Amino acid sequence: MGRVAVVTDSNSGITQDEGEKLGIFVLPMPFTIKDEDYFEDINLTQEDFYKLLKDDVDIATSQPSPDSVKRLWDSVLKDYDEIVYIPMSSGLSGSCQTAIMLSDDYDGKVQVVNNQRISVTQRQSCLDALRLASNGSDAAAIKAVLEEVKFESSIYIMLDTLYYLKKGGRITPAAAALGALLRLKPVLQIQGEKLDAFAKARTVSQGKSIMIEAVKSDMEKRFGGIDPNKCGLYMAYTYDREAAEAYREEVLKAFPGFQIHMDPLSLSVSCHIGPGALALACTKKLKF
Amino acid sequence: MSDTINASVLRKMFLAGAKNLEAKKEWINDLNVFPVPDGDTGTNMTMTIMSAAKEVVALGEPVSMGEMAKAISGGSLRGARGNSGVILSQLLRGFTKIMKENDELDVTLMVEACDRAVESAYKAVMKPKEGTILTVAKGICDKAHELHESGCVDITVFIEELIKEGDIVLAKTPELLPVLKQAGVVDSGGQGLMEVLKGAFDAYLGKEIDYTIDAASATPGTSSVAKDYKGEVTDEDIRFGYCTEFIIMLNKPFNIKHEMDFKSFLESIGDSIVVVADDEIVKVHVHTNDPGMAIQRALKYGALSNMKIDNMRLEHQEKLFKESEKAAAGVHDGTGLAEDTKVTIEACGDAAQCSDNAVPAERKPFGFIAVSVGEGLDEIFKSLEVDMIISGGQTMNPSTEDFVNAAAKINADTIFVFPNNKNIIMAANQATFLVEDKKLVVIPTKTIPQGITAIINFVADMSIEENVAHMTEEIALVNTGEVTYAVRDTTIDDKDIKQGDFMGIGDSGILANGKDLAEVVMAMTDEMVDEDSELISIYYGDDVSEDEANEISELISEKYSDCDVELQFGGQPVYYYIMSVE
Repeated sequence: MGRVAVVTDSNSGITQDEGEKLGIFVLPMPFTIKDEDYFEDINLTQEDFYKLLKDDVDIATSQPSPDSVKRLWDSVLKDYDEIVYIPMSSGLSGSCQTAIMLSDDYDGKVQVVNNQRISVTQRQSCLDALRLASNGSDAAAIKAVLEEVKFESSIYIMLDTLYYLKKGGRITPAAAALGALLRLKPVLQIQGEKLDAFAKARTVSQGKSIMIEAVKSDMEKRFGGIDPNKCGLYMAYTYDREAAEAYREEVLKAFPGFQIHMDPLSLSVSCHIGPGALALACTKKLKF
Repeated sequence: MSDTINASVLRKMFLAGAKNLEAKKEWINDLNVFPVPDGDTGTNMTMTIMSAAKEVVALGEPVSMGEMAKAISGGSLRGARGNSGVILSQLLRGFTKIMKENDELDVTLMVEACDRAVESAYKAVMKPKEGTILTVAKGICDKAHELHESGCVDITVFIEELIKEGDIVLAKTPELLPVLKQAGVVDSGGQGLMEVLKGAFDAYLGKEIDYTIDAASATPGTSSVAKDYKGEVTDEDIRFGYCTEFIIMLNKPFNIKHEMDFKSFLESIGDSIVVVADDEIVKVHVHTNDPGMAIQRALKYGALSNMKIDNMRLEHQEKLFKESEKAAAGVHDGTGLAEDTKVTIEACGDAAQCSDNAVPAERKPFGFIAVSVGEGLDEIFKSLEVDMIISGGQTMNPSTEDFVNAAAKINADTIFVFPNNKNIIMAANQATFLVEDKKLVVIPTKTIPQGITAIINFVADMSIEENVAHMTEEIALVNTGEVTYAVRDTTIDDKDIKQGDFMGIGDSGILANGKDLAEVVMAMTDEMVDEDSELISIYYGDDVSEDEANEISELISEKYSDCDVELQFGGQPVYYYIMSVE
């Protein structure tokens, strides 16, 4: 049995630095700004990005070029026998589809996981894959396990505004209908496929409590109970770290005994939801 | 007299009771503790009992006790509106449980019926409060037991004693409820119940009943509402000098909304108001200092005829009193019960306004009914995907039947109902028992902003129970304030309020009052905002211009810079501003 490498893209929230420490290879997502190409965490920082976003500069996201994907795989395969590739959700981007196509040329050495995760839950999949690999699973087995539990995660995101979502066209009709007359804080849900409207709130505190209730309900009904041994709890945010830290305190009170991993949302997600968003996520923990 | 009451006598008694209540309606309205110009106890109770009376009339004669019991119970249940109306309907319903099992009622059975009536009524109220119609009903019931135990079998004596006792208990209501005492009134619902009983007793005695005596003289002016209405009318009581009456020949439909608008206009310029409408004409009687204004307003609805204006101050007190009786009698002549109730029922139809007329073919899991008032608020509820909007939260409280009708037009398994007024919650609750093929869930929203917040916080993916819990939790965090004007002088919460003052009313009482609208709004807001407040929503009413509203909104934004301020057109009548802080 050969060695298995875990490869993901920067949507997982895993930075280049962190990837190096964990032993996970991270493909930076590309952006086009004013006709120039940028790569997340390579030559585009969070600060620069939000400054551009606030100035209403058009920022285009795209999937990693097939060439960049193949080059990373090829270089990794010099040191490893197999690759588990965990790209961002196929519901949000075509990059998974592309990767599956590219993997055809690798005789099963590259297993592309289509488990519809993004951000903190995608990151958790990478950590799970790493652990499965160190336990001796091969790439195909890891892919099978991760895809089997693909619906065992939920992300709720409260947006500060619908502006960016509408601008990017990444919004389902249901979500677009929100907030017709009154100013509302929409709470969206990512579960499997697309980003969809989950609920709406009048104030930030209402939105926060809706997310907490929703996660509690997921844990109880779908993931075997509100128990730190059974479920993982995560947070993500765009731009406003201070607000996120404050919310983290509230969430910890609502979920005693849990630990929370919190990341800034990856830029290609942030690009579509704008600054000031808060996300709360949960997964069912894998049994090893 | 006799020892029993048969169906035919009881029929007369019930209808007479209903008519007597109707005749005293305006006067009972004046007993409201909050001097706000909105949906009132007298109107609500009258519409409730008229709904039953209409069904009794429709049965014709001869009639059996059983049929009549069903008509009274069903009619009042469906027509129930307002808290006092709902309680009245439950009193009647309890009473009919004994009625329907017997062809004649004697004292023993009536005692039992009183028991059932009081039992039903107390059950209908979540937290029964003493000093209300419930206390009066209970006092009467206790007296009934006492009389029965002392061997009383004569029905005349029995009812007479019950009425005496009822009046005594009613007079004590201000001692039990401090708000009544401060406002200097007895409980309006209890008064309504007494009027029903008095009307019924008069019919039992075979009196030639002239309801109009009290219709005119029972409204001696707002300043003396706390007095016994049978008190002598003195010169000082003539606040409005011209007895004005005429008939409007309608050139367009005159619905209940028009009727309410017209009446509240007349109330603003006078008293002793009688407005009786049928399909073609409206008979009008008012005492006012400016008959021209009444006439001018009436011209909006059609041409006028049979006009008569008397200067009441010029004539001798005694003679004048008779004149006004006669005047009012003229108004009432020719409008029998059936016609009166017809107007009421049509109004129910009108009150329930469809946001979408067609019943959707596909059954959906959830539907929404909201009570709203005013164009702007209707639009807001529609934008929140409410299926049915029942208009008239403040000016006209919707009945149980309005909710049933609205529910019939929504094809959904579960329908959430948002009454948005504390006086409508009970009527909505009652509707949940009358709709069989769908589950009606009433979220007890007491104000429009609570309703908006509750609907926004609905989550389709959660269970009904979770949603109820979640919405109920959120509405508790909504602080509502409403600004209107006082229709009479009063003292509430130790605040002296003068007629015409602006008042800011919060969830638990008067927050501010004064002569300047902007100052009252600011003072009220000050009471509502605290350090946790995030959002101040302002819905401005029909009587406020957009510019005025913008100014207020800016003042509030400046003063509370930590909060988001959102201004919306509400278009509600009566309330200049409805605000919420959450």
